[in-house]
Amino acid sequence: MAASTTGDLPFLRFEGISKRYSNGTQALSGVSFSIAAGDIHAICGENGAGKSTLMKILFGLEQPTAGTIHLDGEAVSIASPRVAASLGIAMVHQHFSLIPSLTVAENILLGQEPRRGLFIDRAEARRRVLALSARYNLDVDPDARVGALSVAAQQKIEILKALSRDGVRALILDEPTAVLTPPETDELFQQLRDLQRAGLTILFISHKLREVRALADHVTTLRLRQVSGDSPMAQISDTEIAALVMGASRPTPVLRGGRAFGDTSIDVRGLQLAASNGADRLTGVDFSIRAGEIVGIAGVDGSGQRGLVSVLSGARRPTGGDVSWNGSPATSLETVEWRRNGMAHLPADRFHQGGARSLSVTENALAGAHRLARFAYGPFLRKRAMQQRVGEIIEEFGVRCPGPGAPLSALSGGNAQKVIAAREFATRPSFLIADQPTRGIDIAAAAFIQSRILELAASGAAILLISADLDELLALSDRIAVIYGGRIVATLDNGPDVTPERLGPFMLGLESAAW
Amino acid sequence: MVIREALAPFILTVLLLIGILALVLVPIAMTQPDPWGMIDTFLLGPFRNPRHTGNIVEMATPAMLCGLAVALMFRTGMFNLGVEGAFFLGGLATVATALLVPLPALALVPVALLVGTLIGSSVCIVPGYLRSRYEVSELVSSLMLNFAALFIGLYVVNYVLRDPSAGAMVSYKIPLEARLPRLIAGTRIHLGTLFAVVACIAGSIYLFRTTWGFESRIVGANPGFATHLGLPIRRIMLRAQIIGGAIAAFAGGIEMLGLYQRFSWQSLPGNGWTGVVVAILARDHPLLLIPAALFLSYLQVGGDLVARNHDVPSEVVGLIQALILIFVTASAITRNPRLLAWVAGRRTENEA
Repeated sequence: MAASTTGDLPFLRFEGISKRYSNGTQALSGVSFSIAAGDIHAICGENGAGKSTLMKILFGLEQPTAGTIHLDGEAVSIASPRVAASLGIAMVHQHFSLIPSLTVAENILLGQEPRRGLFIDRAEARRRVLALSARYNLDVDPDARVGALSVAAQQKIEILKALSRDGVRALILDEPTAVLTPPETDELFQQLRDLQRAGLTILFISHKLREVRALADHVTTLRLRQVSGDSPMAQISDTEIAALVMGASRPTPVLRGGRAFGDTSIDVRGLQLAASNGADRLTGVDFSIRAGEIVGIAGVDGSGQRGLVSVLSGARRPTGGDVSWNGSPATSLETVEWRRNGMAHLPADRFHQGGARSLSVTENALAGAHRLARFAYGPFLRKRAMQQRVGEIIEEFGVRCPGPGAPLSALSGGNAQKVIAAREFATRPSFLIADQPTRGIDIAAAAFIQSRILELAASGAAILLISADLDELLALSDRIAVIYGGRIVATLDNGPDVTPERLGPFMLGLESAAW
Repeated sequence: MVIREALAPFILTVLLLIGILALVLVPIAMTQPDPWGMIDTFLLGPFRNPRHTGNIVEMATPAMLCGLAVALMFRTGMFNLGVEGAFFLGGLATVATALLVPLPALALVPVALLVGTLIGSSVCIVPGYLRSRYEVSELVSSLMLNFAALFIGLYVVNYVLRDPSAGAMVSYKIPLEARLPRLIAGTRIHLGTLFAVVACIAGSIYLFRTTWGFESRIVGANPGFATHLGLPIRRIMLRAQIIGGAIAAFAGGIEMLGLYQRFSWQSLPGNGWTGVVVAILARDHPLLLIPAALFLSYLQVGGDLVARNHDVPSEVVGLIQALILIFVTASAITRNPRLLAWVAGRRTENEA
């Protein structure tokens, strides 16, 4: 079972792996690095850096457009997860694939049940699961119903399921701690070290530096679809890793100083939100935005941004704390009241919230405004006025579309976002929530939307900007608040001294500063 | 070319329907001593006699209205099957009003239809309210409520309206002045048909030209978008179910006053289900409901003629309807870009 190390030959080597999706998105370009047998090897990177794509390629879920994977020095072609399994590669996905109504044993042996004639041999299945459990020192009750177990226990089952195939040599874990509490994380790490002792090579995907430090022997960092660093853990500091993950600061000359801000517009005090999804939870958020100010929220995805946006747009009610808006309480306003008072919202999820794919460009651009006297005559819509207005929008925002009657689904992401932005900006908001306003859209469209956001601020609107793109945050924000674990851990006035390196440790929860 | 492009989905649907007809009719015809005669009766029989052609129209009348009720709710993202019960109860309440309430002759029809609409629509409104207030699945509650409506209705017929001198469990005769006038001599086409056509046109205006209709379509297209806009989703959902229920109940009243002498339904008449089929075939477009309803009624009349003249049960029509439902809802076929391109007479880009 023990992985054999043949001399200095690495167990696994990625050689110039590139991946370009058929829609033109480049997911990886020229990734090369090696993984030594028996190591716990961490792969670090921001969202979109390419970690998941790389693991999907290794597990046979995606095919690289260029490059090769070498296993024990031999080039292998991993056409499917079945091939990956035959090569001894197993994967534990971030989202479990367990069936809650089945027992532990049934789940682990799903698809490879021992049979007796036409029937499943339950006794044998039970025996096999117990043997597996003993071999890897992972305690499970084979007869328990999976649905009744804790998330940590389910993860153990998921790991056993991955190990249940014969001849597993490498185990990939995709952000395994995302769903765990700190003590569960410690237990998982103990188990992973046991697996390492049993001879397995472990690939650990994470963007939590603390965990990488605690667990890994070697770390490879990915940034912007390329390898930005590769080093044994002993020879690299946390700050260095953070810099490799976040990237060296690109000069961001758009400094927006000198503009006078108005009075405090939005004031958030001790905001709390209990959410079933831990990534949305808020545990005490404090910040304020003045009129004409852009406050950028930096943070690793899932640090509470979604919860914050949902409270400030009226989608959810906070469980604690206060929000005031121009001095009036706004803690429990509904969306319609927020909007009536001048809130506009560019949502992160363009097609689930921002618009409706099956409705036309016109309808998407004017939804919400359709009851204005300009577009409605009693119960009837003024079709001509709507056509004329959408013509102006298409012109002004440079929307490329087959026509105003075309469904939103016929537009590219950037053009759809322009339609949504046009709708939200048209209300001349005094408070704008721009949530990932340029994610996944082309540079020209992104620049256009960014310039619109700046114009809006110049006209006196308070703007909350949430973005996973640090360069965008640094270019647009007057102040940057870093969110981690559902609270603001630092607030920095934007200036030349604010760099991704400086933000990185806050974003990863290594440091926190009172402000 | 442009027209052909725009009509491609429609033409594709028509081609599908022809294919399905052939798929069912040809094998059945082969079992007959006179295969051509049977196909001839099925396809052309309905047009050989004005009375049969009239049957198509009178059958299409409730189908259009029920289809409209379903389409307006579908468009809002609701799947309320109370249309069936609302149709039944609307018919009964209309007849009951005409029988029990002393009214001047001129007011009789409008008042009876109004009361029928109010009472009948409750079968849709109650599930609609439960959905918008307590998130009860309107599919389940409306399905159950249909049977409550049926048995309450049968109770009322039996104990209140029943004419003891008639042999069966039927009501007293509907007064002559409450009957809807016939429009075309030699057929039973009545004023209700006109109402139905006007309702479909009005439904189209409602959906595409009014603020309420627009809001319905936003909720139906993407509830997350409606939430984001701050639209009152519950109110919009409830509104759609009230309007849909009212139309279905009105259809029941019209059916009774237009075609019947007594209230004689002993079970759910099935027009609501036909409405679902019609709405699906018309892709929830109110104007397309008219041809869709006429087409399905044509099949039914053809099937009935075949059943009468040949040794084929009229359930064949049910088989055709079922196949239509399966194929027309199979978006893999009807939305297939290659097929659409082929029908539109254009080459697909990736083929080039």
